[in-house]
Amino acid sequence: MVASLRNLRNNPHFLFVRLPYILSFLCIISGVIWLFLLPLDDYSRKTYISENALLPGQVHAYFAGSEQHIFRGYKRELEGLINGNENEGEESVERTPVISEKIQSILKASGLKVATQGYEYTSSGITHQGENIYAIIQAPRGDATEAIVLVAAWETIDGELNLNGVSLALTLARYFKRWSLWSKDIIFVFPPDSKAGTQAWVDAYHDMQPPTVQPLPLKSGALQGGLVIEYPFEHRFENVHIIYDGVNGQLPNLDLFNTAVSIAGGQMGIGTRLQEMWDHDNSYEKRLQTMLRGMVKQGLGYAAGAHSSFMPYHIDAITLQTQGNGWQDEMALGRTVEGLCRSLNNLLEHLHQSFFFYLLMQTHRFVSIGTYLPSAMLIAGNFTIMAIALWLRTGYYKGPGADDSTVTRDGKASESEKEQLLSKDQAQAISKAGDSINGSTVAERQLALPLTLVISLHLLGLIPLYIFNNISHEKYTLATHTSIAINALLPPTLSLLLSRTNVSQQAQLHLIKSLSLLPLGLFLSTLATLNFSLSFMTGLLCSPLSFISCPSTATKPAVRYASAVLGLVLLNILSPPVVLLAGCKYFGVEVTTVLTEAAFGWDVWGMWTQVVVWCVWWPAWVVGGVVLGGGLFS
Amino acid sequence: MIIFFIVALILAALSAGSAASNYHENLLLQPLPPSSLLASFNFKSNTTQTSFEQQHFRYFPRALGQILQHANTRELHLRFTTGRWDSESWGSRPWDGAKEGGTGVELWAWIEATDDETAFSKWITLTQSLSGLFCASLNFIDSTRTTRPVASFEPTGDHIASGNLHLLHGTLPGEVVCTENLTPFLKLLPCKGKAGVASLLDGHKLFDAAWQSMAIDVRPVCPSEGECLVQVDQTVDIVMDIERSKRPRGNPIPRPVPNDKLDCDTSKPYHARDTCYPLEKTAGKSWSISELFGRTISGSCPLADGQGETVCLRTSPLQEVRPSPDSVEASVSDQFTRCYTLPSSESFDLDVPEQVSAATDNDVPLEEPVLHAERTIVGHGQERGGMRIIFNNPSTEKTVDFIYFETLPWFLRPYIHTLQATITGRDGVRQQVPASEFIKETYYRPGIDRERGTQLELALSVPPASTVTLTYDFEKAILRYTEYPPDANRGFNVAPAVIKIAAAKPIYIRTTSLLLQLPTPDFSMPYNVIILTSTVIALAFGSIFNLLVRRFVTTEEAAALQAQTLKGRLGGKIVALRDRIRGKSAKVE
Repeated sequence: MVASLRNLRNNPHFLFVRLPYILSFLCIISGVIWLFLLPLDDYSRKTYISENALLPGQVHAYFAGSEQHIFRGYKRELEGLINGNENEGEESVERTPVISEKIQSILKASGLKVATQGYEYTSSGITHQGENIYAIIQAPRGDATEAIVLVAAWETIDGELNLNGVSLALTLARYFKRWSLWSKDIIFVFPPDSKAGTQAWVDAYHDMQPPTVQPLPLKSGALQGGLVIEYPFEHRFENVHIIYDGVNGQLPNLDLFNTAVSIAGGQMGIGTRLQEMWDHDNSYEKRLQTMLRGMVKQGLGYAAGAHSSFMPYHIDAITLQTQGNGWQDEMALGRTVEGLCRSLNNLLEHLHQSFFFYLLMQTHRFVSIGTYLPSAMLIAGNFTIMAIALWLRTGYYKGPGADDSTVTRDGKASESEKEQLLSKDQAQAISKAGDSINGSTVAERQLALPLTLVISLHLLGLIPLYIFNNISHEKYTLATHTSIAINALLPPTLSLLLSRTNVSQQAQLHLIKSLSLLPLGLFLSTLATLNFSLSFMTGLLCSPLSFISCPSTATKPAVRYASAVLGLVLLNILSPPVVLLAGCKYFGVEVTTVLTEAAFGWDVWGMWTQVVVWCVWWPAWVVGGVVLGGGLFS
Repeated sequence: MIIFFIVALILAALSAGSAASNYHENLLLQPLPPSSLLASFNFKSNTTQTSFEQQHFRYFPRALGQILQHANTRELHLRFTTGRWDSESWGSRPWDGAKEGGTGVELWAWIEATDDETAFSKWITLTQSLSGLFCASLNFIDSTRTTRPVASFEPTGDHIASGNLHLLHGTLPGEVVCTENLTPFLKLLPCKGKAGVASLLDGHKLFDAAWQSMAIDVRPVCPSEGECLVQVDQTVDIVMDIERSKRPRGNPIPRPVPNDKLDCDTSKPYHARDTCYPLEKTAGKSWSISELFGRTISGSCPLADGQGETVCLRTSPLQEVRPSPDSVEASVSDQFTRCYTLPSSESFDLDVPEQVSAATDNDVPLEEPVLHAERTIVGHGQERGGMRIIFNNPSTEKTVDFIYFETLPWFLRPYIHTLQATITGRDGVRQQVPASEFIKETYYRPGIDRERGTQLELALSVPPASTVTLTYDFEKAILRYTEYPPDANRGFNVAPAVIKIAAAKPIYIRTTSLLLQLPTPDFSMPYNVIILTSTVIALAFGSIFNLLVRRFVTTEEAAALQAQTLKGRLGGKIVALRDRIRGKSAKVE
C-alpha cells in the first residue's frame, strides 16, 4: 500500500496529468452528492422564529363580520366599472382611468393620504407604462420614521385579474385606519401590474428612479417589510402559496416567511405551500423537488412576484397567493394579512435576526448557507484545481516523457516503463521540436497569446450581452439561432488561427485552458456566496470543460479527428443558447418570452443572470471548443 | 385679636401680590377636518423678579425655579412632542409653531455665563436637573447633541443687555414621550391638575392623540411700568381623533360594527343585506368634552384669576353648542369663537351635537401654511446616502424667506460641496440651478467624531408657486462596537430640522425625524467568540489545574485514606509528606 503510494508520488505523469482529473471529478461528484443529502433530516433543520418581537399569532384578528359586507361592496363597485368598460365583449383586465379614480376615491373616503405615480419603461421594443396608486395610513403617534408596505397589484405576476386582492386591500385600508396601535405607517400600493409597477414605486421611494419614472409626491419612513396580496379567482381557496424569491436570487429574511407560515398555518388554520408544490407529504423526494424548484428560480434570478422588487433595497417582502379550491374565504386571507401586519408592527428593529441565505424544502424545513455552501464551492473548486494543475503542467511537466531525467534520478520507476516512456519521448521529440526543452525543470510559458485570447473572449461576451438586451423582441428567435450557428463555428475558427501561429500548440492550449478555468473557478466560488443556485447550475454546465483536452498528436489522425469532431458536437449541445432552447422546450415556454423577460429583467429589475451567462460561462465554453478544435488542426 | 391681625396681614399680602404675580389658565377647542379636534391648554403664571430671586414662590413652581437659579438660566424652552401635524388637512400650526418641538424632546435655553465653557457646564447642570424633574432622558444631551444656533432662535423675553447670554440647544429625537412626563408637568401647575381645565389632562387620552405637544417656556417679562416678572408658560396642544377618543375606555378595540349599524350607500344597484358600499360621513361628528376626555372639567381652579374666559370653542357660528347650565358665556368679538367661564365648584361639560346642515361656508377658515417642508433620506446601502429636503411655497405672490437649521449626529458626515438645488414650478418642469441662488447665507460648523455633531444653518428664500429641492450626499461612519445601542438594527434617529420663517412674529416649522441605518455588525459574533474562548480556557485551565493540584494515589491507598481511622489519617499525612519531599514531578513520571 505504502509502496504503491510512493510509486504514485514519483510518477509525474500521474501527478500532473491524471491526479487533477481525479480530484476535479471527485469534487464535482461530492458537490452533487452533497446537494442530494441536504433534504435528509440530519442535514436540514426545522424552521424557528428568531426575532422574538414578531410574536406571530399572538393577537386576535378582528377582521370579520360586517367588514365582509364592505368587501363585497367594494368588489361589486369595481366589477361594475370593469364590466361597464367591457364594450367589445373582450375580457379586458387592464386598469382603466375610471377604475383608478374609483380606487383613489375609496381610499380618500377612508381617510388615507393618496398619491399617484406614473412610470414608463421600454424594453426589447415593448413599452410598459402605467400609474401606481398608493395611500398612506399615518401611524397615529408615529413620526414617519418606519413603514410597512401592502401591495395589491391589479394584475398578478401571471397576468390574471386580482380583483379580490385589490378589494381586500381597500377593505383592509379602511379597517386599519380605525386602529390606533400602529407604530409604523402602513402604505397601500396599487400598481397596475406585478412586474414594473412595484419596481418603479420602490425605486422612486429611494430616489433611485430612471428619468422615465416620476418621483413620489408623498413619502413615509424607512420600509420595514412588504406583503403582496394575490387572490386571482372567484371561488374560495384552500391554501396560501407563499412566494419569496427575489431578483438575482436574493431572499427575504427567513423570519418573515416563518411568521407567515406560523400565522396562516398555526393561527388561521390555512395550509401553506411553497414553490408550487401543491401536495407535499414531507418525503425525501418532495423535499428535494421543492428545493430544486427553489434553486431553479433563484438561479434564473427573475422576479417571482411583485414583492421581488423590494429585495434589492433590503426590504423583506413576500407574496401571499391563494391557491386551490377549499373553504377559506377572503376574510381568512384578510385576517392573515392583519396578523402579519400586527407582527411587523411589533418589530423594534429591522428584520435581521434570522437567515438571509437559505434553501427551503418544506414550510417547516430549511438548510442554511453553512450547510449548503460546500456543494457549490466544491464544484467551483474543481475548475481552480484544474487551472492550477494545468499551470504547473505547462511549467514543470512536458508530456509523458519529458521528465524521464527526474524519473531516472529517483530510480524508482521500473525499467520496462522507462523504456516505454523513452520511446514515446523520442517519437514526440521528432514530431515536435519546439516542445522538448531538455535538462531544465521549469519551462518558459509563452503567455502573450493565451492571455490575449482569454481576455478578448471575455470582452467579446459583451457583444451578445448587448445584443440580447437591446434588440426588439421579434428578433429573439433569429438571434438565438444565429448565436447557435456562430457558437458552432467560432471555436474551430479560433483553433485554425491558433494552429497557424508557430508556437507549440499543445502547451498553448494548456495555457489557454488554464487561464480560462482560473477566472471561472474564482468567479463561481464568489458567486456561490451571493447566489448559490446560479453558481451551482453554471458550475455543473461548465463541468465538462475541466475534462476537455486536445487529443494528443500521438494518436492516429483518424481517431483524433473523429474524437475532436464528436467532442465539438457534444460541447455544442452544452452551449448557452442550446441550453436555453432545451430549457424552454422542457418547461414548455417560448424562447421569445424567456428572452423578453430576461431583457426586461436587465432593464428594469437590474437582473444580472445574463452577465454570468455571457461574460463567465460563454467565454469558458468557447475556450473549451478551441481546445477541442485543436485536435482538428494539429 | 391675633388671628384677626394675621388674616388682615394675609389679605394685605394677597392684594399687594396679585397685581404682579398671578395665574391664568385657558382651553381652546377647535374641530379640525376631517374628524379631529384640537385642544389647546395654556397655563400662565407670573412671579416678580425679586420674589423669584428670594425664592418666594407662589404660583411659580418651586422645583423649576430652583433649577433655573442653580443653572443660571434666564430663559428656558422645553418641548415634548409626538406624532406629526398634518398641515394638509389641519392647516397652519397652533401658536404658529412657536410652542412645539421636534419629535421627542427639544430643549433650548439662554444661560448667563462669562464664557462658553461655564455656559456649557451650566447647561449640563440644567439638563441633568431637568432630566430628574421630568423623568426624561435629558441627561443624554451631551456635547454631541448640543449646538449653539446662530440665527434660528431669538430670546422672547426681555433681558438685560449685558451680552453674557449663551444660547444652547439640544434634541433627543428618539425619546418616547409618555405619561411619566405628563405627571411632573401637571405637578408644576398651581392646581396640580385637580381642578380647572388641567383636570382633563389624562394620560390615556392625551397620549392616544394623533399629535401632541407639551411645552414649558420660562422667560423674564418687563412691562413698561412696574417690576420685571418671571413668567412660566405651560402649554399642551393635542389633536384627538374624535371617533377614536369616543370609544369607551373599557372597550377600546375598533371591532367591525354590527351589520345593522353599517352606514351604506343604498343607491347602489347591488346594495343588499350582505353587500355594502360604505358611506363616509363628511359632516362634523358630534362630541362632548366628557366623551372625548372621559371626564368633565371639575370646576375652575380657585387660584386662577377670575378675569377672562377659560374654555373657548372655535367653530361655525351656526353650530349648536350645549354648555353646562352653570357656566357663563362671555362675549367675544370674533364670530367663530365662543368662550365660557367655568363655574367655581360645579363640573363643566360642553356638548357639540352633530351638525345637520352640511354648509361649509360658515366653517372656521383654516389658514394655509406659509411653507411645506419635507426631509427624507434617499439612496440605499450601508456606506453612503443622501439627504433630500423639499420646500414648497404654496403662495402665488409672496417669496418666503426663512432660516433652515439642522443638527446632524457626528456619524452622519455630510458632503456640503454636493449641495445641489432644483426648482420645480407649478408646470412641473424641473430645473437644476446653483444652490447659491436660494441660499443667501450659510452657517456651517462641521462635526468632530465623538465630540460634536454637524450644525448647518441656511438662510433660504423660495420664490412663489415653486418647489425647491435641496440635496446633499453623506457618508455613514462606522461606530465602535460599544457605541451601538441595544437596538442597533433599528437605525439611529436624526433630529428634525427647524425652519424659522421670517415674519413679524416668527413662524416655526419642524420636519419629521429620520431613521438612519448604519453599518451594523452581527452582535451575536462577539458573543460566540466569548463563549468559545471561555470554553477553551475552562477546559485547558481545568485539566492543567487538576494535574497540578490533585494528588494521584492508588486505589488501595485511597480506600485506606477514606477510612477515617487513625491509621488512615496517619497514612494520609505520610503520603502528603512524601509528596512534599519528593516533589510532585517525580510522582507524575
